Amino acid sequence: MKSYAFLFWGYNVVWIGIAVYVAILVWRVRRLDGRLDRLEQRLSREPEPR
Amino acid sequence: MAKRSSHAATALLLAIVGVLMLGANFMVFVYAPDEKVMGAVQRIFYFHVPAAIVAFTSTFVMLGASIGYLWTRSRIWDCLARAATELALLFCLLVLITGPIWAKPAWGVWWTWEARLTTTLLLGLLLAACVMVRSYADSAEQGARLASVLGIVAALDVPIIYKAVDWWRGQHPVVFGPGKKDPLAPEMRATFLFCLLVFLLLYTLLLVLRTRIACHEERARDAAETVAARGEAG
Repeated sequence: MKSYAFLFWGYNVVWIGIAVYVAILVWRVRRLDGRLDRLEQRLSREPEPR
Repeated sequence: MAKRSSHAATALLLAIVGVLMLGANFMVFVYAPDEKVMGAVQRIFYFHVPAAIVAFTSTFVMLGASIGYLWTRSRIWDCLARAATELALLFCLLVLITGPIWAKPAWGVWWTWEARLTTTLLLGLLLAACVMVRSYADSAEQGARLASVLGIVAALDVPIIYKAVDWWRGQHPVVFGPGKKDPLAPEMRATFLFCLLVFLLLYTLLLVLRTRIACHEERARDAAETVAARGEAG
């Protein structure tokens, strides 16, 4: 049973690691979306130089 | 609206993969029987081998994207190569963590400089170098070029890892291979295939997410450069 517990926690450390990585990716996508929106709004407001 | 539905689709896919992850844990710990010789510790195989397969798959995706970038200089290839490199490194790290968890009870040591272990560590170091070279390069283009060349070199290590046990008579167990009889019981095979499916789904989702981030970063960099150029011109 001791080795089962060892394996179980070993496995869940792996899953938690992956979940944290996914959460970081989602956060980065949202942050970049916001940054792109702001930049594109700024570009559409400012006229192109001649 | 399109952005919101894209985020909702991502969240839905994440939830599905999360449920499948729980199902994989159930199959590994409840459904699959104990292996006769090694007992419970053999169950590490169900995560270790799929993680290795995904790491190698991602290395080959990186290889294709790196060649594509060097051939065409198209940024989309570079975005894909960046995503595949980071994911290959993530899954290679999982292999390098789960391997010693199995090795300690099976061999009595956490690590030994056995051929397959050493070549897998080498792959991890090469992938880490690919990620780092982008950060330290003078320009994004130079980083992409150097990382692509290094990525091709890293991919050459994968067939060496596969054949290492044969070439150098390593002690790493070989479960599958040409001419080998399938040693798994039906429940073990079903558990292994389910875990492999979950890992491949997870990998696909992460690859799409990470590639999207890389493309958005490129767009943001272009937009910031345009804003700066207009500011200077004005």
